[in-house]
Amino acid sequence: MSDHARRTSDGEVPVTADPGETPTGPAGASMVDLTADPEAAAADIPPALVAQSLGQYLRAWWLRVRSGNSGVLPVVLAIVVVAISFQIANPKFLSAQNLVNLFEQSTVYMVLAMAEIFALLLGEIDLSVGLVMVLGSVVVAELVQPSGPDWPWWAAIIVALLACSAVGAIQGSLVARLKMPSFIVTLGGLLILEGVAILVLGGTLVGIGNSRFTNEVVLYDIFWGRFDPVVGWILLAVLVGAAGTGLWLRDASRRRHGLETPPRSLTAMKIVLMTVAGIAVVAICNVNRAHFGTIEGVPYIIAIVLVVLAASTVLLQRTRFGRYVYAIGGNPEAARRAGVSLPAVRTWGFVLASLTSGIAGLLFASWQVSLTTNIIKTANSYVLLAVAAAVIGGTSLFGGRGKTIHGVLGGLVIGGIYNGLYLLGVSSQWIDVVVAAVLLAAAIIDVLSRRGAPGQR
Amino acid sequence: MTADPGETPTGPPGAGMVDLTADPEAAAADIPPALVAQSLGQYLRAWWLRVRGGNSGVLPVVLAIVVVAITFQIVTPEHAFLRPSNLVYIFGLSTVYMVLAMAETVVLLLAEVDLSVGAVALIGGVIAFKLVQQPGPDWPWWAAVLAALVCCGLIGALQGMLTAWLRIPSFVVTLAGFLLFSGILIIVLGGADASVNVSSSVPNQRVIYDMVQGLIVPVAGWVALAVVVGAAGTALWLRAAARRRQGLAAPPVSLTAIRIALVALVGVAVVMICTVNRGTSLVTVEGVPWVIPIVLVVLGAWTLVLQRTRFGRYVYAIGGNPEAARRAGVSLAAIRIWAFALCSATAGLGGILLGSFFYGEYSTNTADPGQLVLYAIAAAVIGGVSLFGGRGKAIHGVLGGLLIGGIAYGVSLLNLGELATPLEYILPGGVLLAAVLVDVLSRRGTGSVTRV
Repeated sequence: MSDHARRTSDGEVPVTADPGETPTGPAGASMVDLTADPEAAAADIPPALVAQSLGQYLRAWWLRVRSGNSGVLPVVLAIVVVAISFQIANPKFLSAQNLVNLFEQSTVYMVLAMAEIFALLLGEIDLSVGLVMVLGSVVVAELVQPSGPDWPWWAAIIVALLACSAVGAIQGSLVARLKMPSFIVTLGGLLILEGVAILVLGGTLVGIGNSRFTNEVVLYDIFWGRFDPVVGWILLAVLVGAAGTGLWLRDASRRRHGLETPPRSLTAMKIVLMTVAGIAVVAICNVNRAHFGTIEGVPYIIAIVLVVLAASTVLLQRTRFGRYVYAIGGNPEAARRAGVSLPAVRTWGFVLASLTSGIAGLLFASWQVSLTTNIIKTANSYVLLAVAAAVIGGTSLFGGRGKTIHGVLGGLVIGGIYNGLYLLGVSSQWIDVVVAAVLLAAAIIDVLSRRGAPGQR
Repeated sequence: MTADPGETPTGPPGAGMVDLTADPEAAAADIPPALVAQSLGQYLRAWWLRVRGGNSGVLPVVLAIVVVAITFQIVTPEHAFLRPSNLVYIFGLSTVYMVLAMAETVVLLLAEVDLSVGAVALIGGVIAFKLVQQPGPDWPWWAAVLAALVCCGLIGALQGMLTAWLRIPSFVVTLAGFLLFSGILIIVLGGADASVNVSSSVPNQRVIYDMVQGLIVPVAGWVALAVVVGAAGTALWLRAAARRRQGLAAPPVSLTAIRIALVALVGVAVVMICTVNRGTSLVTVEGVPWVIPIVLVVLGAWTLVLQRTRFGRYVYAIGGNPEAARRAGVSLAAIRIWAFALCSATAGLGGILLGSFFYGEYSTNTADPGQLVLYAIAAAVIGGVSLFGGRGKAIHGVLGGLLIGGIAYGVSLLNLGELATPLEYILPGGVLLAAVLVDVLSRRGTGSVTRV
């Protein structure tokens, strides 16, 4: 397809401190004399590399944003706009009750979008994520049926995730080794999985809502369970403490070794921001949101999404595999000549996409409680929403640019739009229209921002 | 340029300038047989070389249709698959896939993709049905159909503009279009529970109802066949003769004769099958359904546009090598926008036929737009249209659609119980993967690049 041609003709990809942010400069920009045109050069380089103080850092960051490398800024702005507009239209939108609800509804989009990002980063597409999700949910639900296999919940989860990974391995091998277009391989995979899902369901309703069976209760609690408010606060303290210490120590050690580091004030600000956001989330979730009785506490799924996000972020930003993914997405031929095994990395990319979709399947099964063949129709629309969430979040369709946090933020936008319009009593077809418009807008921003960047068409 | 733009030469660039005597086998595989063959034997040998070189045209899908037909004939209870009533039903069932696959073909030829054809088709159908409602607009049927096609064409042009001017990947534009128009479809329909009907008892609506359901009187069917075969045969013969007179490359006389005989034979077979009484002892159901000439007209129109017009040549040129086409002075944006517009208009016609197939009723349950588009792409690719652009013809869409419809119906004839529904998904998916595998491997065999 023409995208491939475009992508390969875009310049070389110098290694940057942060592989998630592809440098937008022309080939060889890193060798240009930095004093020649400080504005243009600064725009190509991650702010951490040149900034000595917070002021310098912010100026460098702003230059990058203006040159098209805006990262999460557009999607954060979109979230703010969505929140303010819906709050004006319906004051219930930002109530604690609805916010928790909204976040719960968004989690499946978020995890699916993270799955899709593994494929998008490679410059490929996976249309089967929705049906792989269905496969995962159906397998896990079938395996714990007391009248059927009656497996323990952990064994069911492991087998479901293995089954999903196997699908990814097959599709990935077809794409990577036989060089079939991923678009068609995953389209065929989608059709086949639709049949498999119907086969596994066997035309009956499979439920996990029976509180008499421990295995079903565990699966049910994945989506519907909550931490006790006190436990929530303790976990937050541990988490923020660990993350803050880790961040601070890493920067300190980098500074000691004379490597480039963000200014100390910025590290402090990051930790403070994280703490404030964490406290806000826990405080909102700990409000009693029941009309009668008590429903309070942080839902488990918030923790699950954070774990998936952290694991995928570490994998993509801090491991050799992650660097190879970005290298292939940026310029496959350059990566191949640098000695990267394209088939292996591509296959693993698809395995990870399917594995993450399987995790989404666990959430989905728990959310739906009882599964019928109706979920297939739902899943087919989720594929599109997953791609939309990734692109809205800031992941490029052309490969090599994006992070899994983009999937989480994009999923939140889509969940927010659905939830907000639903609160306003808008019918589902109009919601689709709005989501389509947002997707189109995100794609236009993606294309235009790449065009505005120096050295690119 | 080859004589037939539908068959992209698979050789390396500049192959046309290579000394033909150097390696006759390799060179012959790159050139349409019509250019080198002087006799039927030479022609067949040249054709076989091309097939072996990966340029197999409709051969794989025709073989697949034969295999599927024979297999289902053997395994279906009472060997019912090839009964005339079933064959006619399969054609009706396949119609929407055929027409949507033809629509998708023109976009695939440009190395783009249109994921919105399913939703656009349904919108086209609903618009046409709404416009002929009696308490309501009550437009004449032709005006309603025309309005629906124009609406769909405008939708396509809009998506084409976003793709051609802003260079947003067509995949994303039409993905958004799919969501957008699936929503608008329900709005046009008037709600998720609404439905719209055309009745066979209202003369104006009956025309639309009869597009798939209506039958041509047996005698009229034979007369029409004679006229069509006579006209097509004469045209084919005269064109070949004119080319020969002017010293242009032309197929051997015997081949033209064989072609005409084949067309006549297939025509006679189709009319004979349709003329068998497939009703019960009380009701007579016989004759060629209107949908067969309608599909033939669409096929003829698309074949003409793609093979015999400047627009068609430009489409193949852009699909083969956009940069080369641009430097040759082709306006990429204009051709792309027109291609998307024509694709959507054709899809709209497919939607009208779909409504007619479902006995003139349209509701949100009529068809799932997502599934329609998957089947349309699958049909085109199975038929032999390349996903990489520049290779394929309208006839490939028709044959691929027939194969998909045949598989779907064949599976439903088997008493598989719970297995039936899953197989309706698994088989097309498997066939799609197999078709792409063949496409990829055959391109690899020619030594040309499979992907950038």
